[in-house]
Amino acid sequence: MRYLLFSILIFPSLALAEKNIHGDHADHNAQHGHEGHVAMDYVGGTSSELDVPRFDEFVSDQKGNQIAVVSVSGMVCDFCARGIEKTFQKDAGFKKIDVDLDTGKVLIAYASSTEIINEEIEKKILSNGQTVTDIQILTAQ
Amino acid sequence: MVFSDKMRDAAYYHYSPSYKYSLGIELVEEKQAMKNHANFRYTYLLNRKNTQNSQRNLYFQSSLSAGGNDEYSYGFLGDWETRRYFIGFGAQELKSNLRDYEKQFVQIGFAPYLGDYGDLHSWLMIKSKHDSLTDKWNTYPTIKFFKGDYLLEFGVDENDEPDIHFMIRF
Repeated sequence: MRYLLFSILIFPSLALAEKNIHGDHADHNAQHGHEGHVAMDYVGGTSSELDVPRFDEFVSDQKGNQIAVVSVSGMVCDFCARGIEKTFQKDAGFKKIDVDLDTGKVLIAYASSTEIINEEIEKKILSNGQTVTDIQILTAQ
Repeated sequence: MVFSDKMRDAAYYHYSPSYKYSLGIELVEEKQAMKNHANFRYTYLLNRKNTQNSQRNLYFQSSLSAGGNDEYSYGFLGDWETRRYFIGFGAQELKSNLRDYEKQFVQIGFAPYLGDYGDLHSWLMIKSKHDSLTDKWNTYPTIKFFKGDYLLEFGVDENDEPDIHFMIRF
């Protein structure tokens, strides 16, 4: 009985796997078709660590706002990373957040007038169980 | 978190004042003894190693029952995971006036695809558990799904007993 149930349960998973593989191709094609100038200008030498199209999309409606690009280690699980989003949503001046599990980057948009304190970001990430390895503060243009 | 197997049904609520420890209360229905009781649980993170692509954890876990019989337990839980692979283990001593016994488990798994943040994530796993009362290892497949703040793990063991975990993050 358990193997029958397992077989029934496994099919949606494998179907999703196939969908995801095709999705990867679509993303890959999208990257080729995307200039990514905005992100390249912002992050200079570290742009190779970012998913540039993803970054561009994130900042597309954040003109003039500050973007914290936070490199995080130990961020390997979506469910575990949920706390990061919940924690930063409470911040004054918070606009939006994106978590990229592939690159280990958390993007946080703050209002331009917000004072961003790196140590506070490090504490918040640590309180969720992960470790900050780098923070860059950029301004979306 | 809601948990169910052949021995017990349990609902567990916990609060983590810091990432280092959590305090919780577990409401347990013992199926064989046909009684209900509450456990107060304390979990402490002994060691964590974060790398770019992995996380490793070792926890101390203990509980004290409010149901009489001087029931308490202590043990260790550990895991190592990447986005693709998972290995976990646990060992627990359970003590009471009625009986003492031990439980152990090991679990390995892999993710057949790597979903993005917010997607439905799936894990295919093999779990093997042992208790000193039966002195047998019980090995069976489980499947774990999570999406957003919800996690469901489901399996059926060698005795055709369901093993279910359901978790909500508040």
